[in-house]
Amino acid sequence: MSTLTAGEVIARMKANHGVAWSERSKRDTFKFGGPDTVVKGIATAMFCSYQLLERAVAAGCNMIIPHEDTYWNDADTVSIVSGDPGYQKKVDFMREHDIVIYRMHDNVHAMGKADFTWIGLARALGITQYEIPTLHHFLLPETTLGELAATFQKRLGDKALRVVGDPKVKVSRLQLGVGYATPAVNATDVDVVVSGEQQETDGMLDSPEYVLDANTLGITKGWIMLGHHISEEQGMLEMAAWIKGFVPEVPVQLVRADEPFWAPK
Amino acid sequence: MHEISRRKFVALTAAGVAVAPLPIWGGVPGASVTAQQVADRIQKSMGGEWNDPKSVDGFKAGDPSATVTGIVTTSLATLDVLSQAVKAGANMIITSEPTFFAKADTPAPAPRRAFGGAGRRPGGETEATAAAAPPPPPAVPAPPDPVFIGKDEFIKKHNLIVWRISDHWAQRAPNPFAQGIVDTLGWSKFANGNLSEVAIPGTSLGALVAHVKAGLKSRGGMRVVGDPKLTVRKVALLPSSTPIETALKALPNADVILAGEVREWETVEYVKDTIDMGGKKALVLVGRVVSEGPGMQICAQWLKTVVPEVRSTWLPVVDPYWRPTL
Repeated sequence: MSTLTAGEVIARMKANHGVAWSERSKRDTFKFGGPDTVVKGIATAMFCSYQLLERAVAAGCNMIIPHEDTYWNDADTVSIVSGDPGYQKKVDFMREHDIVIYRMHDNVHAMGKADFTWIGLARALGITQYEIPTLHHFLLPETTLGELAATFQKRLGDKALRVVGDPKVKVSRLQLGVGYATPAVNATDVDVVVSGEQQETDGMLDSPEYVLDANTLGITKGWIMLGHHISEEQGMLEMAAWIKGFVPEVPVQLVRADEPFWAPK
Repeated sequence: MHEISRRKFVALTAAGVAVAPLPIWGGVPGASVTAQQVADRIQKSMGGEWNDPKSVDGFKAGDPSATVTGIVTTSLATLDVLSQAVKAGANMIITSEPTFFAKADTPAPAPRRAFGGAGRRPGGETEATAAAAPPPPPAVPAPPDPVFIGKDEFIKKHNLIVWRISDHWAQRAPNPFAQGIVDTLGWSKFANGNLSEVAIPGTSLGALVAHVKAGLKSRGGMRVVGDPKLTVRKVALLPSSTPIETALKALPNADVILAGEVREWETVEYVKDTIDMGGKKALVLVGRVVSEGPGMQICAQWLKTVVPEVRSTWLPVVDPYWRPTL
């Protein structure tokens, strides 16, 4: 029986990170449990949802390394949610199963080309071979926005994917985003942006309206939103492989949750 | 291609002037009113504070001293909506969302910072998390953008005036965006006075979703969390964009939240967790722009009483989203 602690796992993550680890991140901290918790198995995950916790426990994992939040707000501020009965249920479950949670977010996105989320999403979309030197840019064989969206939807099984733009516009220059980091769709070297989530209006650049008006003016633009969860869960496979490389004592695996949405016909 | 197709652009702009005769606008014969007077009357009639520098409301394009030929209200003044306004002979557009593709809402793109990895989170970022981020690179002037230019040229060519009303319209009680959804979906008789509670006859979530989709003419913008077979009665309406705090207040008293836009790391995960822990709950998202459409229809109706000189008409926006089917 291994006596590996969560603190030792995190120390090895820092040592193997490859880029100076930021201790200033308020996201990348313990969300439940602490460094002394003994680790039986490690689950990398997207959102630390209740479904995810149940599946992780069923898979023999008590250390969760999620990319995203546990308490339904980005800063994981407990006081925002602690009045909700669901919060107590979730915490009770975590205590009962001796769970330890350490979020790994900012230090993933600090990795540049090695960022698991971009690598994993490109792999899952099947576009890795089309990557060009410009970071997160891809040059695809020319296709239509409609065909591209349908292909991506099938590859990801993404029920609630959303597309803006004329399905018939020809696209080849793709910029990939993940999570809430959606690239600006008005970049002159981009036909189509593929990403997770973005606010619809009142942002730095409101992609839906921009794409609609660009198409009206005869300018090639398209926007494919995959959903925050699906866009970043893929790369947690790469994160699990990375951790496995320096934590041989216990099993390390990606544990997936379901896409939260369904969409009406 | 990234240059404006001149042929397409000319065709687009010419369509507006080619239509004749113009519809006969209602209103008071012989009386005239300027865009500034329309804005002044709206502000006076609604009351409240109109000088808050944080408010996004106000003139975004055009000459406020121009005489108004007709008013069009909309939740999003796309080029398509602007073309329809021109064809109908209206030169003042009153919109709830930005016209120039950003909160800045200026005819040229605002200076931008380089795209960074971790992303900005206006919905969830706290000072603490903001302080943890590396210092942002300096902003650089944005290059000329053909879509901004094309839209600005269209507005200037047709002497349109764009005035935004978002914050103030949402602050009216009851919230007109919620009222618009209630009216459109035929729920007026089920709602209490401030629309905090809408108790419809029990139906399945699946049937509710179909009803909302048809009523709001949604295409691909709808996304649903919850069991289609769940019976729902109490509906909480959260149009526009709302943070987790709003959902935490609304969900315990409702079976289903019907919302415009929420953050996926907040309300979507909250509702999903609540369901997975045994809660009989659901969340229906229709998109921010679609959720505000009927509220701008109410705005057009209300304007008839405030600005009787000219006709006010609502132009719905087509749901921006579509999706292929698996």
